[in-house]
Amino acid sequence: MAEIVSLAEAIERTVNDGDTVAMEGFTHLIPHAAGHEVIRQRRRRLILVRMTPDIIYDQMIGAGCASKLVFSWGGNPGVGSLHRFRDAVENSWPAPLELEEHSHAGMANRYVAGASGLPFAVLRGYRGTGLASRGAGIADISCPFTGEKLTAVSALRPDVAVIHAQQADLAGNVQLWGITGVQKEAVLAAQRSVVTVEEIVDTLEPRPGGIVLPGWAISYVAEAKGGAHPSYALGYSVRDNDFYLAWDQISRDRATFSRWLDEHVLGATPSGARQVSSARPGAVR
Amino acid sequence: MTAEPTLAEICVVACAEAWRGDGAVLASPAGLIPALAARLAQRTFEPGLLVTDGEAGLLAPAGDGSVTEGWLPYRQVFTSVASGRRHMMMGAAQLDRYGNQNISCIGAWARPKAQLLGVRGAPGNTVNHPVSYWVPRHSRRVFVPRVDLVSGVGYDRAAAAGARYHGLRIVVSNLAVLDFGTPDHAMRLRSVHPGVAVDDVVAATGFELAVPAQVPVTRLPTAQELALLRTVLDPDGLRDRELG
Repeated sequence: MAEIVSLAEAIERTVNDGDTVAMEGFTHLIPHAAGHEVIRQRRRRLILVRMTPDIIYDQMIGAGCASKLVFSWGGNPGVGSLHRFRDAVENSWPAPLELEEHSHAGMANRYVAGASGLPFAVLRGYRGTGLASRGAGIADISCPFTGEKLTAVSALRPDVAVIHAQQADLAGNVQLWGITGVQKEAVLAAQRSVVTVEEIVDTLEPRPGGIVLPGWAISYVAEAKGGAHPSYALGYSVRDNDFYLAWDQISRDRATFSRWLDEHVLGATPSGARQVSSARPGAVR
Repeated sequence: MTAEPTLAEICVVACAEAWRGDGAVLASPAGLIPALAARLAQRTFEPGLLVTDGEAGLLAPAGDGSVTEGWLPYRQVFTSVASGRRHMMMGAAQLDRYGNQNISCIGAWARPKAQLLGVRGAPGNTVNHPVSYWVPRHSRRVFVPRVDLVSGVGYDRAAAAGARYHGLRIVVSNLAVLDFGTPDHAMRLRSVHPGVAVDDVVAATGFELAVPAQVPVTRLPTAQELALLRTVLDPDGLRDRELG
């Protein structure tokens, strides 16, 4: 059953040094507040997993949290490169970053396999590419029925999945809507999970295209209003495009980045992450 | 009186031509010029195209703008692409003679000189459905004898990869339009943009390019296409900045 706790508690109880951590979200609902909390708790040697790592992983990599990245596309959406990511891969600053590169479909299928309790997924793709020979978790496989040569990709089973959603109810059931990625698969594939939400409501109302994650599939829910910023939460906030542009400048230079990190993350407290149990005496613990 | 077409406008129309004859397929453009191109094709000669917005919507023309006519979130794309009924236009940091594409890294994969964005969908796209490429700066850095990491599969590797719907249609650059219409599917110069000499393209290409005896000039945008681009699809003229 999901327990409703503060963001700091949720991260403290789930994310350990050396863990494999998947923080998912696509364009929308990216769990920035949770990523900042991981940085503040100075977690190290994390294996970060995400289909489309963007600036939250750039910040975590630059802060020295990660030793490896499992991904299929890493960039500042609509802007360009991730400079902290590149500095880590190219110059090992602040720590070497090992890469495990997959295609989008490969990553999505790996999550599905993990969520389904299966050891691998099968897809058409990778064959003929440079990944087929060097990627971890990639192997040739023959179809047992037709003999067709295909690719097997190993299941992703993160220690922790972290996502951001619009709402949870008092029992810890979660609903997200709008543009969604592979949040559901990531949570179901992971051993432990944290869902930050814009708001905790009495009851969830069904939304068109909404995804409901039942409380029994989630470890911890924490309220983090604005927790997707500079990404957004449909119905609650809009995307801060200026920040994505500004990040290009902040992140280019190690010193500028370090100052930004000190001021905006290490020196800050979780924004909007009040402890629900004290704010709502009747809340479920 | 209509102002002369700019290079960017010529490139948008050349990219739009990639989708000619495709009918009702998912048109997935990556980047501004391909996005304008797909929407231009949809508004003119390929009205059946389902144009993705890069996030989760399918765009349809509506007067002076667009409406979202369909909803295709990320995970559902993967169930659609394997049918071959998608034609994507991607970028390329490197391309070789047979259309092998690299968007992953420059230099050794283990310790690259430049870490790029990653292979993204290229390994699946190129074996599952047609793909075209847009290269805003045609040079020997992009058109190389051998790519550092094959992200998208070229013609010389497609058969061995068992690719059922492999097909590289065209490559549009700021200098020319190229295709793979040779017996062994080696890259061929299809047309040069106005004012560009064949020798300019050959000099800016790092491998032997198939050059027909007669190389036509890339067609100019029609008055209707120009009007659509300038007043409806891109009134702020963002297209010209991409080629600045």
